[in-house]
Amino acid sequence: MTGSKLTKDQIKKLALSVMGFIFLLYVYFTFFLAPLQRSRADTRRKIADRQSKIDTSSEDLKKAAKLEQNAKDATVRFAALRKLNPEGAPLAWFPPRMKGFFASEQIDKAVARLEGSTDLKQEELSHWTRYNWDIDLPQTDYSILGKAIADLENAEPLLCITKLSIRATPDQPQFQHAQLAAANLVEKK
Amino acid sequence: MALHLNLLHEEILEQRQRQRDPLKLGVLALISCGTLMFLYYSWSAYRTLELKSKLGAVDRAWVKLEPNVTAAQKKVAELQNIIKTTRALDDYIEGRFFWAPVLQTIARCVAPNTQLTSLDGTVLDDGKGVNVTIEGVAAGREPRAAAEDLRQMLAEQLRQNYSDVKVEFKALEDLDTTVNLGGTRVPMARYNLNVTFGPKIAAQPTSTPSARQKKRS
Repeated sequence: MTGSKLTKDQIKKLALSVMGFIFLLYVYFTFFLAPLQRSRADTRRKIADRQSKIDTSSEDLKKAAKLEQNAKDATVRFAALRKLNPEGAPLAWFPPRMKGFFASEQIDKAVARLEGSTDLKQEELSHWTRYNWDIDLPQTDYSILGKAIADLENAEPLLCITKLSIRATPDQPQFQHAQLAAANLVEKK
Repeated sequence: MALHLNLLHEEILEQRQRQRDPLKLGVLALISCGTLMFLYYSWSAYRTLELKSKLGAVDRAWVKLEPNVTAAQKKVAELQNIIKTTRALDDYIEGRFFWAPVLQTIARCVAPNTQLTSLDGTVLDDGKGVNVTIEGVAAGREPRAAAEDLRQMLAEQLRQNYSDVKVEFKALEDLDTTVNLGGTRVPMARYNLNVTFGPKIAAQPTSTPSARQKKRS
């Protein structure tokens, strides 16, 4: 009968054991298991992150290959358009080019003057500048001029004639005096 | 019934008490729990290490792939930029106004008795239209009618290729001077035509305009 009853000393020991057990549980969960779980969660997150990057990158690689295939025409065209304008300041090459072009069209006197330049507002064309030119043809003939303008519009796709003025020359009735205002797109180098 | 005497009851009680010692039981429970917890911790640590090793493998794969991906992304950005720029340039090229067809049309409309003295054309800033001013002199028995013929012909011809065509006289006045036309002296009139029209319907730049020349003044 008295055997099942706990003595004071035993109760004390039991209480101490319970406290020790609770402390052990606390230490175990807080300082051992929790960091391990945190580390595991962190590792899982990193793996998911890397894996998603790998998956996305695989798609990117496929997309790049496909785009490269599809963009062939655009790349070739872009290169061709860039080649239209030579290196160097436009003022150095545009007037001689116009002079040569109109000379080949039987218009001997041709003078091109730079009126100014403006940066294009369009985001896609932010690397291009619009140069405004005044092309003076003091001695020309209407039909020759018409053919020359047609050839110019076909040969220079980046050039746009914005104004055109043709006047009869009073003292030389066989000639007309023409003035063109043209805008030319040139890539910034 | 036989009588049993237990002479060792004190010793047995003591043994039982020793066996039921709470401290001993507690220590046993603690050791069992500790063992279980240690096993669980070891299992967790093993799983963590396994995950770390998996992360290492994924990292190695990513490191191997990353330069290619970076290069591909750069290439994609570059290509997209090229495509956008080319499209914008194409829009600019397609949006240009071509003067050669207009000059060809005007040359086709000018009759021998309606001479042009000046022609001024401007593409409006928004690119939605073109304004052309034509000055000249018309000769004939009815010089005003000759000028009107030119106006009508211009309107008719331009309407074939352009939209919103308007050809109006800004001025039309008789001149005092006469001119010899086909051996007959006929009166003259000076005209000033204002021509406006919108974007072309299907006109393309022509390679060769009409050989017909403008009558020289």
